[in-house]
Amino acid sequence: MDEARVRPRVRVFPVEHRNDSVLIAPQARRLARQFGLSARRAAEVAIVVSELASNIAKHGVRGDLTIILDDDPPPRGTLTVLARDIGPPIKDLATAMTDGCDDTGPIDPALLLHRGGLGTGLGAVLRLSDRFDYQELPEGKEITARFFR
Amino acid sequence: MAEIDDTEVSIRSERLQNVIQALSYASVDEFESCIILLEKNEGEDEFKELETAFAIFVQELSEAKKEVARALTRAEASNRELEAKLETIEMQQAAIRELSTPIIEVWAGVLCLPVVGVVDSQRSAEMTETLLETIVAKQARTAIVDITGIDVMDTKTADHFIKMARAVRLLGAECIVSGINPGIAQTLTHIGVDLTGVRTMRSLRDALQFHLKETEQLAATHHGRKDHL
Repeated sequence: MDEARVRPRVRVFPVEHRNDSVLIAPQARRLARQFGLSARRAAEVAIVVSELASNIAKHGVRGDLTIILDDDPPPRGTLTVLARDIGPPIKDLATAMTDGCDDTGPIDPALLLHRGGLGTGLGAVLRLSDRFDYQELPEGKEITARFFR
Repeated sequence: MAEIDDTEVSIRSERLQNVIQALSYASVDEFESCIILLEKNEGEDEFKELETAFAIFVQELSEAKKEVARALTRAEASNRELEAKLETIEMQQAAIRELSTPIIEVWAGVLCLPVVGVVDSQRSAEMTETLLETIVAKQARTAIVDITGIDVMDTKTADHFIKMARAVRLLGAECIVSGINPGIAQTLTHIGVDLTGVRTMRSLRDALQFHLKETEQLAATHHGRKDHL
């Protein structure tokens, strides 16, 4: 059986400023809906994209956020969120993913708001996505969050 | 073997001075004056060939310099345009931040915060800071936070959200959260959040009506007491 293979669709969004996530997240939600995810699931994709994009701007210096829509293998398919940045690697991933902590340990609650977040971003990415991967790159790092259709 | 032409050419000193003068004009970019001098002499002798070649060379140099000046002007204009665009982007970024957390004083002492879009952990933290500051600044007695536009929140973000509502109480104001949808209701109960002191309403409209009724009743009681005196 020779099915016409549709190549995955890829959209790349550069991330540099803190507010770039405000522009990227709604677009990610639209792509997720077009891909066939439910409204709720698409909203979860938007949150994951928002958290990852914010992190790139806050801690990763600069990078990009890629959305890959892959119909393979049908009928399921996968929506992949790829967050790549040129910043320093995450020293302790397990701690960094603990809510209220960054990669060096618990965040002083008094400094939480000053840092512009709750220290729960990576935790949210883990909770909301179906699969989470972290990889250190020669010039930065890459976080992958997958959503199965 | 090439034949070397060793015939001598003689010219008047004046003519040589002319060429030297032309050269000095060219050296200070006065190309027109230079060319005028070079084309002054009529005649077809060999020296004239040199003068003509020189004149052509200067003409081309003049064109080249003009082109460079034009390119430089274009580049400067381009640069100014880019700087202006960068400034616009900065202003737009600031506007985006402001617009994503609008706090409206619907009437005296009543603030309304309609939340739309994507609420991630950062936005939740920023909203809290802005709301609490505004409550103090405007001396508000009531804050209505409407989340009708929010489909989903991460559990920790939702947790923080409710903490924000309780913090409003600490400031002596009432906090009404309206527009909680079934999905978020589930999220909130799953994390076992304490909703003491946080009033919830189905819609923004219900919240406003509720507040109006409360205020009326309060005014009526006050009025009633006054009549008594």
